Amino acid sequence: MITFEHVSKVYPDGTHAVHDLTFDAPSGRLTVLVGPSGCGKTTSMRMINRLIDPTDGVVSLDGQDTRSVDAIELRRKIGYVIQSAGLFPHRTVVDNVAALPRLLGVGKQQARSRAMELLAKVGLDERFALRYPYQLSGGQQQRVGVARALATDPPFLLMDEPFSAVDPVVRTQLQDSFLQLQRDIGKTIVMVTHDIDEALKLGDQVAVFREGGTLAQVATPSGLLAHPADPFVADFVGASRGYRALGFVEATAPVELADEATVRVGSRPGDAGAVDDGWCVAVDDAHAPLGWVDLRAAGEVVEERHIDFSGTVARADGSLRDLLDAALSSPTGRGLVAGPDGRLRGSVVAAEVLRHVGHGREAEVSS
Amino acid sequence: MTLNWIIDNAARIGELTAWHAALSVVPTVLGLLVAIPLGWWASRSPRIYPLVIGTSGLLYTIPSIALFVLLPKVLGTRILDPLNVVVALTLYSIALLVRVIADGLASVPHDTVQAATAMGYRPWQRLLHVELPVAVPAIGGGLRVAVVSNVSIVTMAALLGIPQLGSLFTQGFSLRLTLPIVVGIVLCLVLSVVLDVLVHAATRALTPWQQKAETA
Ligand SMILES: Nc1ncnc2c1ncn2[C@@H]1O[C@H](COP(=O)(O)OP(=O)(O)O)[C@@H](O)[C@H]1O
Ligand SMILES: [Mg+2]
Repeated sequence: MITFEHVSKVYPDGTHAVHDLTFDAPSGRLTVLVGPSGCGKTTSMRMINRLIDPTDGVVSLDGQDTRSVDAIELRRKIGYVIQSAGLFPHRTVVDNVAALPRLLGVGKQQARSRAMELLAKVGLDERFALRYPYQLSGGQQQRVGVARALATDPPFLLMDEPFSAVDPVVRTQLQDSFLQLQRDIGKTIVMVTHDIDEALKLGDQVAVFREGGTLAQVATPSGLLAHPADPFVADFVGASRGYRALGFVEATAPVELADEATVRVGSRPGDAGAVDDGWCVAVDDAHAPLGWVDLRAAGEVVEERHIDFSGTVARADGSLRDLLDAALSSPTGRGLVAGPDGRLRGSVVAAEVLRHVGHGREAEVSS
Repeated sequence: MTLNWIIDNAARIGELTAWHAALSVVPTVLGLLVAIPLGWWASRSPRIYPLVIGTSGLLYTIPSIALFVLLPKVLGTRILDPLNVVVALTLYSIALLVRVIADGLASVPHDTVQAATAMGYRPWQRLLHVELPVAVPAIGGGLRVAVVSNVSIVTMAALLGIPQLGSLFTQGFSLRLTLPIVVGIVLCLVLSVVLDVLVHAATRALTPWQQKAETA
């Protein structure tokens, strides 16, 4: 656990960057510091590994005051990832990851083979291992940055806007693969971002900072959406809070699914059997849903161009937001639902999801 | 006649060239070794920087002849001792290279330095494993200037009678012959070019990680 107790930082030029900060970043959890630019997030994070020393207050790791240990030893227990990756330009990818273990005396072969494992873990193909950083895309560099931070298997990880410098598609990929990784490794993480969506998506706990370096609220993502502490937080969390909050609610009872007729690309419309309104679901060979087909518009044979891909596919164990979105985005008003194996389970209508929203609220109120 | 003189004196010309090369290269290397810690010190503090750079700049303005004459008194060496030349040229190399090192280190991307610090590199480990290697292209450029400038300054040592290619100038002058002077100039030029190319090649070899467009 990382603990801040009444921590303040005033820079030599008189800037009050952080003011009386008190909160915990629990072990094995991802705590996100979020807030507008210049509100002291980076300063707060850097006080953990003593890149910056607090003016006042105590930062401790697992109960130990960080000032009571050697700064170098402290930093070696804390992985560090920054926005631009900050890779060593003169080292290959694999040697970037192996750098710290090598410095600490691990043999070359051992350090490199461990580095290769880590690169695989962060989702970087091994053919990139011998490239230099300038030969990688921003997203690939960021993966290397994460692998390097994990090289000595430190219990703590600090990340400053790690996914901010890449385009939205790559950002989503990086976020998803990082979430997957964290489920595996369960590090105690403090991550800084200015992006509230990223904070809500990745954080187990979100600390919202406001101008002047004070803490506005610390809560779980769903807690933040449901009960913002004040107008600043409410405003920062943004519009469509109600809808986004559904992203953190799972159905408490089984959602009722309707069966749907299916058809494959290359088959004849008649193969779908009895279809009430002409629409049926196109599935692939693994029975995973692709989209909707209007059989009345398809000719002799169902082709890919007949498929309407506009609807999203929700997972049966997904959030109510995913289910509702599937229903709302579907050309038929019936949202496609797949099982964890990817196979089509059936469809759900918005009214059925909303019925569960009511239950979810009641459950939350009574708990 | 031309060829005969060269052939008759080939052994001596070779010897002078070897001396000249040694007297140019050794001080450059020594200068680099001293300039690294000085330049590092300067690069770390905005207050120290102008002090170190200013002092080393001043050093460069001392006439070489004055140094050659003064140094024996300071070092207790004989006036003909090549050590005087080595020390003098080392001082000049330091003067040139301190700035090169300081600016080279300052050019290392801030993120890279910060990442190393945050990972738990000690300052000297960071210098050795990260900052110096990344600054090699900048340092290599300065080193080329230093070694070529040394090749030219070494000739001044001829006035003291220390053997190197400059000796051909004094000899030609006293014998009223142009040939030794021309041979001396040509060999100085060749030596400059060879050393310059060698340093450049070494820099390239040390930086396979540089984008081709940047090394051009
Ligand atoms: N080294 C510094 N010296 C003086 N002021 C600084 C320094 N670093 C940051 N600041 C100021 O402290 C405040 C907080 O900065 P920072 O922690 O970087 O904010 P954030 O990461 O939330 O954008 C800002 O007003 C910034 O200008
Ligand atoms: Mg910041």
